[in-house]
Amino acid sequence: MSTIPGFNQIQFEGFCRFIDQGLTEELSKFPKIEDTNQEIDFELFLERYQLVEPSIKERDAVYESLTYSSELYVSARLIWKNDRRRYIQEQTILIGKIPLMTSLGAFIVNGIYRIVINQILQSPGIYYQSELNDNGISVYTGTIISDWGGRLELEIDRKTRIWVRVSRQQKLSILVLLSAMGLNIREILENVCYPELFLSFLNDKKQIGSKENAILEFYQQFACVEGDPVFSESLSKDLQKKFFQQRCELGGIGRRNMNRRLNLDIPQNNTFLLPRDILAAADRLIRIKFGMGTLDDMNHLQNKRIRSVADLLQEQFGLALVRLENMARGNIYAALKHNWTPTPQNLVNSTPLTDTYKVFFRLHPLSQVLDRTNPLTQIVHGRKLSYLGPGGLTARTATFPIRDIHPSHYGRICPIDTSEGINVGLIGSLAIHARIGRWGSLESPFYKISERSKGARMLYLSPGRDEYYMVAAGNSLALNQGIQEEQVVPARYRQEFLTIAWEQVHLRSIFSFQYFSIGASLIPFIEHNDANRALMSSNMQRQAVPLSQSEKCIVGTGLEGQAALDSGALAIAEHEGEIIYTDTDKILLSGNGDTLRIPLVMYQRSNKNTCMHQKPQVQRGKCIKKGQILAYGAATVGGELALGKNVLVAYMPWEGYNFEDAVLISERLVYEDIYTSFHIRKYEIQINQGSERVTNEIPHLEVHLLRNLDKNGIVMLGSWVETGDILVGKLTPQMVKESSYAPEDRLLRTILGMRVYTSKETCLKLPIGGRGRVIDVRWVQSSKTDETEKTESIRVYILQKREIKVGDKVAGRHGNKGIISKILPRQDMPYLQDGRPVDMVFNPLGVPSRMNVGQIFESSLGLAGGLLDRHYRIAPFDERYEQEASRKLVFSELYEASKQTVNPWIFEPESPGKSRIFDGRTGDPFEQPVIIGKPYILKLIHQVDDKIHGRSSGRYSRLTQQPLKGRAKKGGQRVGEMEVWALEGFGVAYILQEMLTYKSDHIRARQEVLGTIIFGGRIPTPEDAPESFRLFVRELRSLALELNHFLVSEKTFQLNRKEA
Amino acid sequence: MVREKITVSTRTLQWKCVESAADSKRLLYGRFILSPLMKGQADTIGIAMRRALLGEIEGTCITRAKSEKISHEYSTIMGIQESVHEILMNLKEIVLRSNLYGTCEASICVRGPGYVTAQDIILPPYVEILDNTQHIASLTEPIELVIGLQIEKNRGYLIKAPNTFQDGSYPIDPVFMPVRNANHSIHSYENGNKEILFLEIWTNGSLTPKEALYEASRNLIDLLIPFLHTKEENLNLEGNQHMVPLPPFTFYDKLAKLTKNKKKMALKSIFIDQSELPPRIYNCLKRSNIYTLLDLLNNSQEDLMKMEHFRIEDVKQILGILEKNFVIDLPKNKF
Repeated sequence: MSTIPGFNQIQFEGFCRFIDQGLTEELSKFPKIEDTNQEIDFELFLERYQLVEPSIKERDAVYESLTYSSELYVSARLIWKNDRRRYIQEQTILIGKIPLMTSLGAFIVNGIYRIVINQILQSPGIYYQSELNDNGISVYTGTIISDWGGRLELEIDRKTRIWVRVSRQQKLSILVLLSAMGLNIREILENVCYPELFLSFLNDKKQIGSKENAILEFYQQFACVEGDPVFSESLSKDLQKKFFQQRCELGGIGRRNMNRRLNLDIPQNNTFLLPRDILAAADRLIRIKFGMGTLDDMNHLQNKRIRSVADLLQEQFGLALVRLENMARGNIYAALKHNWTPTPQNLVNSTPLTDTYKVFFRLHPLSQVLDRTNPLTQIVHGRKLSYLGPGGLTARTATFPIRDIHPSHYGRICPIDTSEGINVGLIGSLAIHARIGRWGSLESPFYKISERSKGARMLYLSPGRDEYYMVAAGNSLALNQGIQEEQVVPARYRQEFLTIAWEQVHLRSIFSFQYFSIGASLIPFIEHNDANRALMSSNMQRQAVPLSQSEKCIVGTGLEGQAALDSGALAIAEHEGEIIYTDTDKILLSGNGDTLRIPLVMYQRSNKNTCMHQKPQVQRGKCIKKGQILAYGAATVGGELALGKNVLVAYMPWEGYNFEDAVLISERLVYEDIYTSFHIRKYEIQINQGSERVTNEIPHLEVHLLRNLDKNGIVMLGSWVETGDILVGKLTPQMVKESSYAPEDRLLRTILGMRVYTSKETCLKLPIGGRGRVIDVRWVQSSKTDETEKTESIRVYILQKREIKVGDKVAGRHGNKGIISKILPRQDMPYLQDGRPVDMVFNPLGVPSRMNVGQIFESSLGLAGGLLDRHYRIAPFDERYEQEASRKLVFSELYEASKQTVNPWIFEPESPGKSRIFDGRTGDPFEQPVIIGKPYILKLIHQVDDKIHGRSSGRYSRLTQQPLKGRAKKGGQRVGEMEVWALEGFGVAYILQEMLTYKSDHIRARQEVLGTIIFGGRIPTPEDAPESFRLFVRELRSLALELNHFLVSEKTFQLNRKEA
Repeated sequence: MVREKITVSTRTLQWKCVESAADSKRLLYGRFILSPLMKGQADTIGIAMRRALLGEIEGTCITRAKSEKISHEYSTIMGIQESVHEILMNLKEIVLRSNLYGTCEASICVRGPGYVTAQDIILPPYVEILDNTQHIASLTEPIELVIGLQIEKNRGYLIKAPNTFQDGSYPIDPVFMPVRNANHSIHSYENGNKEILFLEIWTNGSLTPKEALYEASRNLIDLLIPFLHTKEENLNLEGNQHMVPLPPFTFYDKLAKLTKNKKKMALKSIFIDQSELPPRIYNCLKRSNIYTLLDLLNNSQEDLMKMEHFRIEDVKQILGILEKNFVIDLPKNKF
């Protein structure tokens, strides 16, 4: 059995490839720079580059909001060739900083963990397809995809004429393209297999004529120029640059694919599209039209490639070097002009490279903030594959077949783990054993079955290659060793499922959850679940909040250990040695002749506001081995991932409190801190050092709100703060107009001639919903070094302890999610026959329609495990050992539990897994036996405290004067179109008017209503139109449409215009 | 006719402890039977007892901890392996047994290095720790760990927002639930006409199952006392139609009527702790073996004055409380 590769390995391998190969490759492209007079030569030696170990530690980088990066030094040489001075100057120069990957597989940029996820792209090359056109006739096309994602389409019509389509424009004759590429008619006809077709095409089309004409026509089509452009050299160059160099660059992979598909032997270093390619492509297209040759499947993984961190970083590095080159050129020119002596170091500086990476990590869509809700989230994030991003697809336009599962995904991309919603199928997850091979293909391992060698040989196959083998599906392994020949096994062959004799099988899969991602393979009994629910589960496990006291799952899949190890949440010994000191926040390990100080994470905030904390697990004086766990992190127990808690659950309706996925829970979960989690929030305020002042003397504010401030005006460490309390007292000076001075100020001013400065309080207040303990206050110097204004920021970290409460979301591991609807005292909960009250009550109706039966297996087995004090690790697809294996296992364990604990009710043969339970309020037994069990339930990050919101008054949108939306802006609840219908339907005119005027965008009415409420009296009825209508009228006016209304006097028929 | 003949039972109800076990110091188990009961009675008592056992029994817990050196719960102390929060969680685990009313103080004062366990807690004499091995903290350096604790006897559980204490003390959300689990089952015999009630009780050790049973039944009886005097209650309600819904203390009003009828039997079952006496007076009374109102009424003012640490103001206070709650006058002299 092979071990599972490290879950972060994809990222590490990518980064190593960049450092080892990418840097050299790009540096080798750096040209020798000469000035125009050829007096100075500047070049870099690619053999001698070095990356310096960063001066700061990973953790300090996070703490001080810096970038964890390494300086890149390269040897450079400057040669003076003019007559006066002729010498060579060599120097090792700093050309910039490259962010380094940390042990989490992420980068730290400005103190934030960022991860670069892998992109999956259509491989450059040519693809033949048949499409139905508008008339329902199938049309054969060949699409050439360039390295940058540009497309060139060859199309053959009914009369076997070949057309070219450049980026969905009008079609052109292929002859125009070929002529524009520089071939003449004779050359074309000599080099194709079916010249007669080209000839006939030539005949019924007007004469192409010269190359110039062709270029002109092509340019017209390509650039969409109206009129008659005149041929010129610049136009030809423009076309060369824009089309033939950008659109037609195939790159190494593209050239390889092209050669393979068209049977060409063009050398690898020729990365551009050649006329020969087009000719061969046209020949192939004709052959396909006549039924010779095969079509391509664009969605097959062999036609995709992975752009990993390595490629993205290398690309950026290349860009940076171009900038560096320009800078060096400019500086050489300037040096010669202004006559200063250049040295290699003062020709270039570190800004281009550093800035390029800064921008890349900040703005590139594939560089994402590492999601650190829990340890699982961290590893899963690095293993994502995205079709989106530059050069890729967009979520809105991606078609269904792209999002769909393809047979070639087997063992490479998880068929289950993808996001829900608009990105479904576009953001996938890498299967456990998959790796990225050469040429960016995804490879999956198989065991080769051969007669000769007893030991199975493992080989990695790229997509497309495994299709030509018979691959045993691995869903029935109970083969009798003796009579192998007679065994018939299900197998895959060329995307089909067959049943073949065992001896015909070439390969078999190596692992039962080879084709799943980490998230999906943490679901026990996944084979009993509907895929949609398994998808939800793998997504929801990533949203589980680390609890204050974690607990191992009773029923698991066996992957929990590795998930925790690779997540980086644990502290692991880097080498063997002896523990010489342990404390809450550090462990000192001595070994290999030196002492290693391992700092532990103490109540730190993750970017999802969850709490990360490590607890030391080793005693002083103990000797430990390399790789041993020194401290458990959040949501890990015993080196295993522990996201939730095992709780006693009954599946029954209870007074409607679990209608529609609501969940009823026992008070025990609250007072025993079973689902208690910590949340750390960061509150930040910018301070302009020039003018603003941090102080605890804030006028016009209640003393109560300032009680937590120390004498400097910053909240004291360890103080308990509530909503509205001041965290940082800050005053911003403000010049006030003369007229608005208070009378006493005016007096002072006239008598003493004093200038009264008023300042406005711009304090950092704890926003709504915020309460907790101040656990950290940091004063961070902004890294931006503007000379004029120094900005600093103060960060206050507040820890909140949250018990589970009504409105929180909980979920099992089978996509069974729900919201807490009521918390009952333990004596009111239904209780088992031994008096134990149940902890949660789920709705049984949540099971059949969702088809996630795995939860039933899990809960029953969990109950048995809880009673027997056993933990089960069950690999998915245990049904391959025998039929109904899961059910047999669960029943036998339940039976054993009932025997061992002498509780016959645990396993009742007439209703196995169910038991009669009693109502806690009355003591009456419920009518039916009820499924009870002990599943593993997670508390998710969607909590009411973060969502609950109401508005009495607040801000309004500038333009429409309607209330803003969103909790963060203290927004209102939209009364939309359908809500208005509802109110209309009930005829509640006054409520409707209130909704649309006083509470919304009628400025005058809503101002008056305040006064009338205070002083009493009748609220005036708004007479004119609300603000949004006035806006509408003005928008119409901007379209030169006047909307107005007039009053026509009955007597004089005079028009009275009213302004809307 | 026939039925009546059978239901007549001459035997009185009896309870018996049939099984008791101590799995550990923190888990005591007891099984009791009550018999003979008539058909249906076992269920009535059983569910009531189960709910009373789970919900009505008081327990003693550490509710607050205070230490000088700590800046907040989530900080660490040099030389201690646990974080402050973990120490607080460990303190929450401690099981106490007491006959305490209200709150009292305790403290931990240990010098490291070494393990701090529950036996290092310095307690007032009337509070007792059951499991001395409960781990609190491990000191790795020779430092002094001083924690002041507050102990409280109460019911249910408390989750306090720490904002009420700005004095540097940290609340431990206590769970005053000595009964871990309770169950009842019914065994019927004599063709289902007689029943035996089985009650199973698991406690956390601060009470034995027997004591828990006693406490639960007493608390249950206390809740039922008002029903013994239905008539008076109705009169009372009629007279006070305009009053807002009666608070739970109304049964003291009913007691006032009760005393007029000189039902001393009832006074016997009213304990002095129900009369909201200040803790000092309460302790004084308790020391001189005054437990119920009847005991109190049997003493004259002079008798009370003879007690240790008892002052004339206290007597006045008792009188005031009695008058307020029970409309009883303490006899000037023994009659």
